[in-house]
Amino acid sequence: MGIGDILLSLEGSETMSHDLVIGMAGSGGDGIVSAGDAMITAAALEGYHAVLTKSFGPQIRGGESSCRVRLSTRPVLSSGGTLDVAVALNWDDFLKFGGELPVGGRTTVVYESATGVPADRLPLPGVTPWEAIAVPIAEMAKKNAGTEKAKNSVVLGLLAGWLGVGRDSLLAGIRKKFGKKGAEVVQGNENAFAAGVQYAEAHPLREPRTLHAAAEAMKEGKLVVDGNDMCAAAALFAGCEFFGGYPITPSSEIMHFFGREVWKYGGAMIQAEDEIAGIGAVVGASFAGKKAMTATSGPGMSLKTEMLGLASIAELPLVCVDVQRGGPSTGLPTKSEQADLFQACFSAHGDVVRPVLAPTSVADTFAITVEAFNIAEHYQTPVVILSDQEIAQRKETVDPIDTKAFAIVERRRPTEAELEKYERFKAADSGISPISHPGMPGGNYLASGIEHNERGAPTASGEVHARMNEKRIRKLDPLKRRKDLFVVEGDSHAPVALVSWGSLAGTAREALEIARGEGIQAKLLVPKLLFPVAEEVYADFFRSVQAGLVVEQSHQGQLYRVLRMYANVPAGVQSLARSGSNPILPTSIVERLRKIVLGLQRQRVAEVEPAG
Amino acid sequence: MTTITRPVEEYQAKDYKSDLKPIWCPGCGDFGVVQAIYRALANVGRPPHEIAFVSGIGCSSRIPGYTTAYGFNSVHGRALPIAQGIKLANPDLLVLVAGGDGDGFSIGGGHVAHAVRRNMDLTYIVMDNQIYGLTKGQLSPTSPRGLKTASSTWGSLEDPVNPLLYVLGYGASFVAQGTPADMQGLAAVIEEGIRFPGFAFVNVQSPCVTYGQEEQQLKAHKGTMQTLASVGHDPADRLKAMALASEYGHKLYTGIFYRNPEPPPTYEAEARRRQEETRAQARPKDRILEMFRPQ
Repeated sequence: MGIGDILLSLEGSETMSHDLVIGMAGSGGDGIVSAGDAMITAAALEGYHAVLTKSFGPQIRGGESSCRVRLSTRPVLSSGGTLDVAVALNWDDFLKFGGELPVGGRTTVVYESATGVPADRLPLPGVTPWEAIAVPIAEMAKKNAGTEKAKNSVVLGLLAGWLGVGRDSLLAGIRKKFGKKGAEVVQGNENAFAAGVQYAEAHPLREPRTLHAAAEAMKEGKLVVDGNDMCAAAALFAGCEFFGGYPITPSSEIMHFFGREVWKYGGAMIQAEDEIAGIGAVVGASFAGKKAMTATSGPGMSLKTEMLGLASIAELPLVCVDVQRGGPSTGLPTKSEQADLFQACFSAHGDVVRPVLAPTSVADTFAITVEAFNIAEHYQTPVVILSDQEIAQRKETVDPIDTKAFAIVERRRPTEAELEKYERFKAADSGISPISHPGMPGGNYLASGIEHNERGAPTASGEVHARMNEKRIRKLDPLKRRKDLFVVEGDSHAPVALVSWGSLAGTAREALEIARGEGIQAKLLVPKLLFPVAEEVYADFFRSVQAGLVVEQSHQGQLYRVLRMYANVPAGVQSLARSGSNPILPTSIVERLRKIVLGLQRQRVAEVEPAG
Repeated sequence: MTTITRPVEEYQAKDYKSDLKPIWCPGCGDFGVVQAIYRALANVGRPPHEIAFVSGIGCSSRIPGYTTAYGFNSVHGRALPIAQGIKLANPDLLVLVAGGDGDGFSIGGGHVAHAVRRNMDLTYIVMDNQIYGLTKGQLSPTSPRGLKTASSTWGSLEDPVNPLLYVLGYGASFVAQGTPADMQGLAAVIEEGIRFPGFAFVNVQSPCVTYGQEEQQLKAHKGTMQTLASVGHDPADRLKAMALASEYGHKLYTGIFYRNPEPPPTYEAEARRRQEETRAQARPKDRILEMFRPQ
């Protein structure tokens, strides 16, 4: 029976699903993560929307590794909540991921029977899963492929068999992946996969969990990509010709991409001796007239701070990507957090405003990165892209992006007339001055970190300093009216609001859907421009709002506090914030929203019937 | 490396002098250095707009502003990374880097080794005065042991850095030293450095008239300086160069310590080669995302 037959036989059944979340964990050598890669590739080829997140222990090799794959017939906004299917190759490794792989009462748990754990005594305190199935995964691998290395092929077979997803494309993937290793290895893994499928067919689930087929039209042109690669590719598309950086988790893949690709486009890169030199080279390349970028994570961002200030005062465009991880200091290098917002906005001495943008998914990392270059070049300023580990290292299926729809902005060059008596920092109404570069006759000027007048001559004059500060900050004002950098969803007059950003925005959007499904009048604001704070956009949004939540992954609730600094946040809007590496689930947001609505109702009752 | 070809033009030293008035103290050695740079540039003959001149922070780092080149007076210690970004972004430019001993061998010391090994065609001029002048007289990395300064009331407890030996040790292909006490010699080594196809280091003993020691002043240099040619040194001899450089702090040698007779390839030349080798693999930019299509 082929996959088509399974689907036909189950058509219309209530047990078919539109959305499946699979979580798998094992030791480093178990190939769990490559099984996840195989799943998402197969999903894309079959037209599903999917997200793959990977999570590792701190070890370089070996140690525990895990992945979550979410498959859906509809666009997926987050990597999902409680698992539908959990796969544990061993329990020690599985349990290390805690809340990252949450098992609940509807979860089917599949685990290695060699662990010797009885199905009614899983080491999951306080949870009785939907069902638990012990499978001799290692034994099946050994028997069918001659090696336990094929455990992941067995797992893929089990999943294909039980979930009805990707049988053909997974098999094709196995052939492609192992093709280089010879016919024997390919055959072994095919056998292991087939054994998994057969096992699944012989041991049906308590209730089928088959995924609906995706619409035929969705199969065309889907991409599978992670946030770091998307960011780097978008930068090249935007005209970036120079990268300088230093290896740091979880941003290094951006540098890897440039090291591989940038030369093809006539550009260049440096793996610098440190974070400072990395951005220093970028400042130099920008001064020399090229679009340039660096990428780092929190600790590197701290080191780059002085150079960012230099780029601000010298009015040199550049893009600095901060892929956030847990902090401070080394913190949690492999886990996601949203606690670099203060650093991105405020880590500068002197009066500086530096635009900060944040993508919310792999897909919109493209647009955000192009926008970052456009803003940097137009306003002659450094721009920070605040990505996070979740977006940067997760893979998504991405629908085809029409690159022709994107405008590419170039910096304002001086005209012939302006070069006659060139003023590099000329005080135009817009605050945006003509910028020359070495090699341009007549454009010679001194770029400097020291305060300077319109001609670029160093000065210690307080009057000039005030004037230039005003120019450099005023020029960014139009950004605050960029409503297109904000997404608003839900009932526009709703009294209940959610605000969220970065990778948490997808979770908040799911929470909004659930809440509205329950009849809660709610809306959501997702800022992709975080700084400067667009006061008017928030004023418009908060006009109808009495209460709500700012949802983010930081202990202090950094966006909540930044908004309180600059915007009129209604008193009933609270912070829902947790430290990184602790997923916030859509259901926990909805739970808080219910309490908030209840509070509003009590308040209303109290107003109508005053106590006493 | 330059690919621009142009008719030979006559440039004079004054063409490289800007109208900014230096903030240096009267008698500062840096006046001589900037004059030597004007002369060297005039001899090389590149138009000012094709020159990028980068510095860090310090008295001497004001120097780009006193030239008509594209200047960049950046942040403390970071002139070399910025200069490398400029050179790699546009290898056709002539790129000069300058700063003090503190800028280059203290706060920016970590960058020197890497600038040397990357070997971009830059000329790095350090104005070495063994003191921090801009911040009013503290110890510098080249201050001699025992020196009493604003920050070392009882005398320095550290040995100085030897800039010449460090840079030779890092593997630099061109290392020279000069003093404004010998303007002709200084202009000549700077010019040689500029003409050298790779990273060139010129240490200039440029005295601080306000905080410097008596024996470091130009008048003293005139009595102590000794050309390397006069001691029969062959600049192709790296080991001998290191032996002579070891006498830094005791003897004032001027001229070229080392000039690699077989200069290694520059980073920017290798980058250009890689660009040419891979160009055919480029996808049209508007189809760049197709690389992420699963097969």
